Amino acid sequence: MTEDNKPEEEKGSSPLNKALENLEKAEAHLADTRADESKAEHEVEEAISEIKEAEEKQDYVEVRVIHVNEVEKTSFEERLLATLQEVWNKAYDKLHIEKKPKDIFQTAGQHPKSLMTHLSLTLAKARQECVIDDFCFGIASETGGACSGDK
Amino acid sequence: MVTNKRPTIDVQAGLKAFEEDLPRVLACLNVSSIEELGWGMPKPLTLLVPMSGKIGEKNDEYLLRLGFHAYRAWPPSAQFINPATNDYVYPQDQHFVPRLESNECRTHIAYDHTAEGKKIQLVCCSATFEFYDVLHSVDAAYIWSETDTFLKTINAIRRAFSESYKGRFEAHGK
Repeated sequence: MTEDNKPEEEKGSSPLNKALENLEKAEAHLADTRADESKAEHEVEEAISEIKEAEEKQDYVEVRVIHVNEVEKTSFEERLLATLQEVWNKAYDKLHIEKKPKDIFQTAGQHPKSLMTHLSLTLAKARQECVIDDFCFGIASETGGACSGDK
Repeated sequence: MVTNKRPTIDVQAGLKAFEEDLPRVLACLNVSSIEELGWGMPKPLTLLVPMSGKIGEKNDEYLLRLGFHAYRAWPPSAQFINPATNDYVYPQDQHFVPRLESNECRTHIAYDHTAEGKKIQLVCCSATFEFYDVLHSVDAAYIWSETDTFLKTINAIRRAFSESYKGRFEAHGK
């Protein structure tokens, strides 16, 4: 009896054998795919890490602060995600000047504006919302006594 | 509280203090001369500081004259002046005065100076000489300190321009 004459189930290419072969191939393919996936995930993690590192470098700006009453100035690197309150606090440390109760934080330049109602904004948000034009600030003290008396 | 003591003039002390403070202020503002800031000093005890106020797109220019005759025990005198004469004469120069109406700084073109029996321009702010000279009431926390400098005066007025500028006083007779 030749091979060709054997019943189908006795041949090496019986449906069961074929299915087993297919399973083995599929498992090998799955293993390859998982390896590729794992490699891809690692590459994504590396890329994210690189982006974060680059962003961290990009997200620092130079902040300049003048203390009006003491006629002192300082400058330092600060995160764009730092709030105006954090910048204000840090400025005292850098200036080695104590905060006084009537102090206010303001923009610098020819037309200073109080930032006291915006202290929770980050530098990035404050710039985005046009609360500040740049990263130059002033610490000044309130003045008082203005009246609405006669002309 | 009411300040019960009018400032005393001391020209020599004023000159000395001003000469000490001017270089400090210039260094703090990152310049080496008053010209770089557009400021002028026609006399040793007088500093002219241009200021501006904006309403919409309209920009109004002013000239602030600071005087240091009682400085630094007292703040500098602060008067908005006619740039042609470097002086202020009421009422013909009243349109050279900006309307500033903040709680920290308010301008008056003719404020009763009872002790002198006359009307004066008053930049009503605890960082100006005239404020104390008219014996204005003020919270103790705001009283001028001898360690303050004229930069505080300029800054307070500039901030009032930014936050509460209401345009020019009308020209006399209009």
